Amino acid sequence: MPATRKALVLLSLVTMISAALLVAADKKEKKNQSQTAAAQMDDDKKIVHALNRFTFGIRPSDVERVRSVGLDKWFDQQLHPDKIADGGLEARLERFRTLKMSTREMVDNFPPPQVVKAIENGRKGLPHDPAKRAVYEAQVMKREERQERKQNAGAPNGDNQPVKNSPASNQLPSNQAASNQLASNQAGNSTSSNNTNADMSKASGDMQSDSKPAADDSSLTPAQRKAKQKQREDAMYADLGTGPQPSNSTSTPGNNMLPASAPAAQPNPATQPKPGAAAKPQPPASPSTQSGASQQKADAMFTDLAKSDDRLLQMPPDDRYKAILKMTPEERMDMADSYRGGKVFKLVEGMKPENQETVEAIVNPQMVVGGELSEGKMLRAVYSERQLDEVMTDFWYNHFNVFIGKGPDRYMITAYERDVIRPHALGKFKDLLNATAKSPAMLFYLDNWQSVGPNSELAVFGPGGRPRYRGRYQRFPRPQQNKNRPSGLNENYAREIMELHTLGVDGGYTQKDVTELAKVLTGWSIEKPQEGGGFKFNERTHEPGDKHVLGHKIGNHGEGEGMEMLDILAHHPSTAKFISKKLAMRFVSDNPPQSLVDRMAETFMKKDGDIKEVLRTMFKSPEFWAPDAYRAKVKTPLEFVASAARASGADVQNALPMVQFLNRMGMPLHGMQPPTGYSMKSDAWVNSSALLNRMNFALQLGSGKLQGTAVDQKILLNGATPADSDAALAVLEQGILSGDVSPQTHAVMQKQLNDPTVTQRKLDDPNRTPNAGAIAGLIMGSPEFQKR
Amino acid sequence: MSITRRVFLKNGAIAIVGTSIVPAFLTRAIYAAETAAPGKKRLIVLFQRGAADGLNIVVPHGEQAYYAMRPNIAIPRQSVLDLDGFFGLHPSMSAFKPLWDQKHLAIVHAAGSPDNTRSHFDAQDYMESGTPGVKSTEDGWLNRALGGLKEPQASPFRAVAMGGAVPRTLAGSVPAVAMSDIRSFAVGGRGPAGNAASNTFEAMYEQSVDSVLHGTGNETFEAVKMLKSADPEKYTPAAGADYPRGRFGDSLRQVAQLVKANLGVEVAFADIGGWDHHVNEGSVQGQIANLTREFSQSIAAFWTDLGDLAEDTVIVTMSEFGRTARENGNRGTDHGHANVMFVLGGPVKGGKIYGRWPGLQAGQLYEGRDLAVTTDFRQVLSESLTRHLGTDNLQKVFPGFEKSSPKDFLKFLG
Repeated sequence: MPATRKALVLLSLVTMISAALLVAADKKEKKNQSQTAAAQMDDDKKIVHALNRFTFGIRPSDVERVRSVGLDKWFDQQLHPDKIADGGLEARLERFRTLKMSTREMVDNFPPPQVVKAIENGRKGLPHDPAKRAVYEAQVMKREERQERKQNAGAPNGDNQPVKNSPASNQLPSNQAASNQLASNQAGNSTSSNNTNADMSKASGDMQSDSKPAADDSSLTPAQRKAKQKQREDAMYADLGTGPQPSNSTSTPGNNMLPASAPAAQPNPATQPKPGAAAKPQPPASPSTQSGASQQKADAMFTDLAKSDDRLLQMPPDDRYKAILKMTPEERMDMADSYRGGKVFKLVEGMKPENQETVEAIVNPQMVVGGELSEGKMLRAVYSERQLDEVMTDFWYNHFNVFIGKGPDRYMITAYERDVIRPHALGKFKDLLNATAKSPAMLFYLDNWQSVGPNSELAVFGPGGRPRYRGRYQRFPRPQQNKNRPSGLNENYAREIMELHTLGVDGGYTQKDVTELAKVLTGWSIEKPQEGGGFKFNERTHEPGDKHVLGHKIGNHGEGEGMEMLDILAHHPSTAKFISKKLAMRFVSDNPPQSLVDRMAETFMKKDGDIKEVLRTMFKSPEFWAPDAYRAKVKTPLEFVASAARASGADVQNALPMVQFLNRMGMPLHGMQPPTGYSMKSDAWVNSSALLNRMNFALQLGSGKLQGTAVDQKILLNGATPADSDAALAVLEQGILSGDVSPQTHAVMQKQLNDPTVTQRKLDDPNRTPNAGAIAGLIMGSPEFQKR
Repeated sequence: MSITRRVFLKNGAIAIVGTSIVPAFLTRAIYAAETAAPGKKRLIVLFQRGAADGLNIVVPHGEQAYYAMRPNIAIPRQSVLDLDGFFGLHPSMSAFKPLWDQKHLAIVHAAGSPDNTRSHFDAQDYMESGTPGVKSTEDGWLNRALGGLKEPQASPFRAVAMGGAVPRTLAGSVPAVAMSDIRSFAVGGRGPAGNAASNTFEAMYEQSVDSVLHGTGNETFEAVKMLKSADPEKYTPAAGADYPRGRFGDSLRQVAQLVKANLGVEVAFADIGGWDHHVNEGSVQGQIANLTREFSQSIAAFWTDLGDLAEDTVIVTMSEFGRTARENGNRGTDHGHANVMFVLGGPVKGGKIYGRWPGLQAGQLYEGRDLAVTTDFRQVLSESLTRHLGTDNLQKVFPGFEKSSPKDFLKFLG
């Protein structure tokens, strides 16, 4: 009996428990469901937020991908870029040879003005490789022609500036860059004019002025130039068997002023400097002849040139390349003249990448260097799978800003961004600081390379050195050879390293600290900056004696003093705060909460300035996920342009038109002149002209009118086949804005869908779905898309 | 002339205001036309980038040392356009001579920045930020100057820069419009599709809840529409205003169009590059002659073009530093120190050289090689801002600069 009872009790107990369990389970399931529903929304928003902050913009499929990996895991992956495959990007970057070159190799392959001058003066020989030789010869010719033009007193527009290194100047010959428009000195892309063709010719090292091409060339007397051009071309085409173009009616009395020498008889410019100057004395054209008639002649000449260009363009790419290499240096120079600017892209169309590069370098070597650099940066932003690494590389480049327009820095920035910034973008801050401090790009940009200790050996004993070091053949004191050699302390870098790179302007240093740090850093110099040399510590310019910086006594131990100070600066609490705040401004909001900054700074101090850990702390902080942080940041022009290309799934074959839009929006890549770098606050980027350019960029991109970039309607619609325009709008709003469209914008868009001029719907086919690209353009120009 | 124009504008304004519904931008444009244009002061800032050779622009032909130091590139005494028996204009600047004779053109010689940098890069930066020696300044002096002028109903064209980006001089919190070509200041180009796109964007930004984008969007479309309605292109250059070909002339021609279209321009900025004459600078002819011709003809054309509006206009020119007093081995000049500034305008007491001439004798040269600075460029700008625009926050415009008070003015503006 008891057994039965027991069994009964047990049974009922089991029943009860299981019932209760069932109910509980049911409840739990319901609760789970509701939780999941709420969390699902939050999670998606979190994913959108994270993607907006840690990438250059959301591609339509990104949210789904992060969801499947898990947000935390995705973030962790992004912190370890070396583990993310990036073959797609690598394939796109393959064709840019300079991106893999050392500064020295770039200088060698794409000669800057100094190298050209060395050849002209016979200090350097022409290379043997025919392609390289062609590049060099064209530059030597161009240089000669420029000088010839300068000697022509009657030049109507004395615009092009001589390339001359002033001994008294701490600028290099191409400092015209700095004297052009601020921040407009990209090789091959300038902001100073809407004439994008002319822009391309403004590689600053080339010292071209802002004048229109017509004005440039007219200084050679249009008639002469035209006739000369024609003669060369005819010879060239005769040689190629395509037959000369019939001479047309624009020939002028100027013809008889031509030199007798045929192009083939041109002497080697390297062995006979300035043959042109001797052969072609230019009659000074009086200013009064510069309008009217002569302008018409110039116009006719350009029409003429354009016609003959066609013949070259009609050849198959390989033949075209061969034809160019077969030209005489003079012919190539003329070709270079007529293909400056965007036109060069037509000339190189279809050629092998290295041949393209050669032809572009004939036209303008600096353009290749600057152009590939900025194209590379843009393509990385759009296509790299290592998005956080790209964002951080951009962040640190901007933090340790170097201006491409300052002399030989143009050739140093590729290596600077690649070898100095990128490897440490997610590493330790001290490594980053040390690497920048020893980089030729920074040492040149902030003048430290020529800072000389007032009591250094050089300052005291002059270039001849200390008497006791002189050999027996130098018994007599040598006179100082160059009175204008740098002989003083340059505080520029010492100031910026504390103000902008580490402590911050309120980080607690004085003018005395600046001067003392400048002494510490004397001798940190560059081996032959013009030729792509690297860091060198110059004992002879180093200031002897003890220095006192920020309360630390730095004993006299040469290069080690700088290392000691960099270590102090990298681990300073002010640095931790300053860097943390700047990161928070980039990733969270224009005015980040102090609690967040403090927490990040604490990690910075604890983890030896480990940038990964600081970012992780930020990622785990509630302030990062605060609702008011969501889409609170206005995109910078780079973020805007890259995010538009990502959102629309654009195929960018030539990124330069995108780069040029950045110039117009006031953010030329590598083109920030002052060392402050670009602002991360919205007020710097929201202004009328920039906003108009954003809208125009969006329209051009969406409608497929942006040169070099294709937008595929199917990709844009992310595989969907919307039945009508409303459905298309919904798909696009989801894809481009992750659905974060305001009711206002949505209403405006919906209203516009009926306007055939907006949607580019064919009037005779009212049922046809509207052009998705046109709608996408409007969405990308909307207020919502300006924010992330 | 001025009466006719005013009456016309007034009648035009009444006629349009009389019709019932008028878009705000249009009435604003019209009222601006009536009230703002005459009597509205404006300052035009022109920058000669590359360090112009002031000694060959306003030539100290009374200095024997000048001729001794420049055997090849000096401007011969018989060629200069004499101004006061000691100084003379470069002969290619004949366009400036009438302005000098009419006492509209004042010259400040030996002006410049106290900072001794000879880097274009730094010197331009210092001159544009208005804070020599301080690199961390984020904004430009001209923007800070506007910040001190209360202007609740400011026109979007209050501060205009000709060029693709807002120059450092105008960078800052006060909105400034940069335009390289007034014809391209629009959305979507011309034609119906562009108009429709423009309208769509306008509606979006008009209704945006984001205050910054909403505000700037409104400003932008107001500017675009004001520009379209005012149609500055119809203001072709006045008779006798012959702008030379080139970017600088184009810039000034367009500034004149904006001013004449009564778009409320208070300050405008344009620049002209190419002054870095290290080699073959030239003398009476050559590079320097061509550039000074373009420079002076453009400014003279602008002056003529403005007509009566020139009465309320002051133009100030500057360059980052001067050039060496001696010519170098390439018949050019290297980077120097002090330079010459021109001040032109209706209220300007012209026909006079201002500032103290430090001389070109060996002992008088700065660091033994350059013309010394005797007038800080900020003194000239302070006076222009205070006396002409009525700026009263000079301590913010030129922080730490002690010579910005009236006692340090050169008094070219009274």
